[in-house]
Amino acid sequence: MTGRAERIGLLALPGLSFLAVIYALPLFMLLLKSVQIDGQFSFAEYVAFFSDSYNLSVLWRTLRVALLTTGLALIIAYPTAIIMARAKGFWLSVFLVAMVLPMSVGVVVKAFAWTILFRTRGVLNDTLMSLGITDAPIRMLFTETALIIGAANVFLPFMVLPIYAVLRQMDSRLPEAAASLGATPVFRFMNVTFPLSLPGVVAGCAFTFSLAISMYVIPSLIVGERQQTLSMLTARSFLYLRNEALGATISSILLLIAISVVLTSSWAANRLGARQ
Amino acid sequence: MQRLTQAGMTRRSMLKGSAYTALGTLAAPGILHAQTTELVIGCAGSHTAWMEQIVVPHMKDAIGADILFEGTKSSVNLEKMSSNKDAPYLSVVQMDDPVMIQAVEADLLTPITSGPVPNMSDLRPDAVHMDGMWCNYVQPWAGVAYNTDFKSGGVASWEDLWAPEARGQLIIPSLQNTEGMWTLFMSAMLGSGKPFSEAQYEIDAAFEKLEELKPNLLSVYTTMSQAFNLLEQAEITMLAGNFSSYTLPRKATGVPVDLAAPSEGIFAMPSGICLVKGGPNAELAEAYVNEMLGPDMQAAIADFATSVPANTTVSAGAIIPDGVPIYAPDWAFVAANRRAWIERFDKLMAI
Repeated sequence: MTGRAERIGLLALPGLSFLAVIYALPLFMLLLKSVQIDGQFSFAEYVAFFSDSYNLSVLWRTLRVALLTTGLALIIAYPTAIIMARAKGFWLSVFLVAMVLPMSVGVVVKAFAWTILFRTRGVLNDTLMSLGITDAPIRMLFTETALIIGAANVFLPFMVLPIYAVLRQMDSRLPEAAASLGATPVFRFMNVTFPLSLPGVVAGCAFTFSLAISMYVIPSLIVGERQQTLSMLTARSFLYLRNEALGATISSILLLIAISVVLTSSWAANRLGARQ
Repeated sequence: MQRLTQAGMTRRSMLKGSAYTALGTLAAPGILHAQTTELVIGCAGSHTAWMEQIVVPHMKDAIGADILFEGTKSSVNLEKMSSNKDAPYLSVVQMDDPVMIQAVEADLLTPITSGPVPNMSDLRPDAVHMDGMWCNYVQPWAGVAYNTDFKSGGVASWEDLWAPEARGQLIIPSLQNTEGMWTLFMSAMLGSGKPFSEAQYEIDAAFEKLEELKPNLLSVYTTMSQAFNLLEQAEITMLAGNFSSYTLPRKATGVPVDLAAPSEGIFAMPSGICLVKGGPNAELAEAYVNEMLGPDMQAAIADFATSVPANTTVSAGAIIPDGVPIYAPDWAFVAANRRAWIERFDKLMAI
C-alpha cells in the first residue's frame, strides 16, 4: 500500500473504532460470560443447554422457521426482483418505493398487523370463506405457518434488493444472445439469468436468514410463549430467570450460527463470482 | 502551510468540527437528563394510561416534578435496577410484591420512612412491607376476564377454564407475569382439593392440573395488552388472572368485556411502590411517593383504575365482590421458587 493510500485508510479508523467499542467488545464480553461460571473457565452452560431436550426443540424450531422464512421470501422475491430489474422510469420508482417504504414502519406495527389479518374473524378467513375455499374459519394465529408468512413479509425487502441489484447490473444482451442460438426461455433462465443472479440470491438469503433466526418481536406476537425461539429464550434467561450465563450461552449459539451463515455465504458468493 | 478544502475549510478545522459534533451527540442525553425536576419512574406497562392521565399533571402541580415513565413488566424493571446498580437512573419503581422481595435481597431499595413520606402513616398496616422497603399503593382484584357477547353467563367457577366448550378459547398469563400466579394457585386448589392456605404450596398438584388445561389454551401471554385485545375481538372468550384495574375501565368504555369473581375466590394484586437506592433526585422521589400515598392521588387512582386504596382515610375505588374469598399468597415462597416454576411451566405448555 502506498503512503497516500495508507493515509486515506486512516479515514476508516473512526468507524472501525466505533464498531470495536460498541459492537465487537460487547460481543467478546458476551462470549466470555458464557464460558465463565463463578470466575472459572467452563463449558458447563453449553453442556447443560445441549443436554436439555426442550432447548434442542427450541433450537430446531428456530432453525426450521428461519430456513422456511428464507425459502418463502426467496420464492416471492425472485420474480419481484426480475420485474424490478426490467422496469424503467415511473414504474421502477413505484417498485423501489414499495420495497423501501415498509422498512420505515416499525416491526412491532407490522407484526401486530399480521395478528389482525390472521384472526378467526380476520380478513384472510373472511376472504377464504367468501371465495368458497373454506366452509368455516381456520385457526391461523399462533401457528408456525402464520409466523413464517409474517416473517417472510417483514424481511422481503432484504431478499429483493440484493437480487435486484445483481440483475440490474447483468448484461441484458446475454439472454438475448442465448435466444438467438435457439435457447428456450426456461433454458435461458436456468443457464444464463439464474446462475448470474446467484451472488444476489446468496446475499439475500444471508440477510434474511440472519434476521429470521434472531427475530424476537415477530414470534412473540404471532405465535406467543408456547412456541419459543432462541431469542425468546435469551430474553427469558436475562429478564426472568436472571441467569446471565444461560442468556450469554444462548446468545453465543445464535451468534455462531449467524457467523457461520455470513462466512458460508461470503465463500459461496466469492466462488460464484470467480466462476463468472 | 495548511491545505484548504474547496469550501475554504482547513483539514484541521474540519476534524475539530467533527470531534465537537461527536462529543455533542454523545453528551446530549446527559445534558438533557440533567434537569433537576425530572424523575424517571419505572412502572407496569398496563398502568401507563392512568399514570399519564392522572399522575403526570398532579405531580407537576403538587411537587413541580417532570415525570418520565418507563412502562414495562416488574421483572424488567428489576433487571434495569440491577444492571444500573452503580449508577441508577430510576428514582422510583412501581412493581409487584414478589419482585420487590428480589429487589430487597439484591440491596436495590432504600426504605421509605414516615419523616419525608408522612402519608405512609395513613396506610393499612398490611400495605407496608419489610420495615418500609416498599408499600402497596393500590390493590386491584383479579379474577377471570371474559367476552360478554360470547359468554353471557359469565364465569361462575374457575373450573369453567377446563370445560370442553372452552377448547381453544382461553389465554392464560405466563408465570413470567405476576398475574400468572393466579392460574397456578387456583390449579393447586382445584387439583389438591385443599384450602388456599395449604394448596398454595402444592405445586406438583398445580402443574398436573395445568397440564389438563392445554387443549383449551389458544396461547400463553407475556404481553397482556395483546391478549386483552384478542379477548375484546372475541378471538378468545376467557382471559384468566386479569385484574380490575384493566378490565373494568375497558368495560366502562363500552367494550364487551367483564371481570368475573368465580366462586372459589379471587386474588389481591400486589401493586407496590419503592425508592431506588442511590437513585437521582432523592428528595423529589420521596415527595413523589408521599403524593402517591396521599388522599388526593389515592382517590384518583383508585377510581380510575378501579382498585382498593391503601390509604385508610380514602373511601373510593373498587368494590370488592361480595361472597367470594380474596386471597393473598405467600410471596416469599413465590420469590424463592419462581424461576424454577417459569422453566417448568414453559416446558409443560410448549407445543
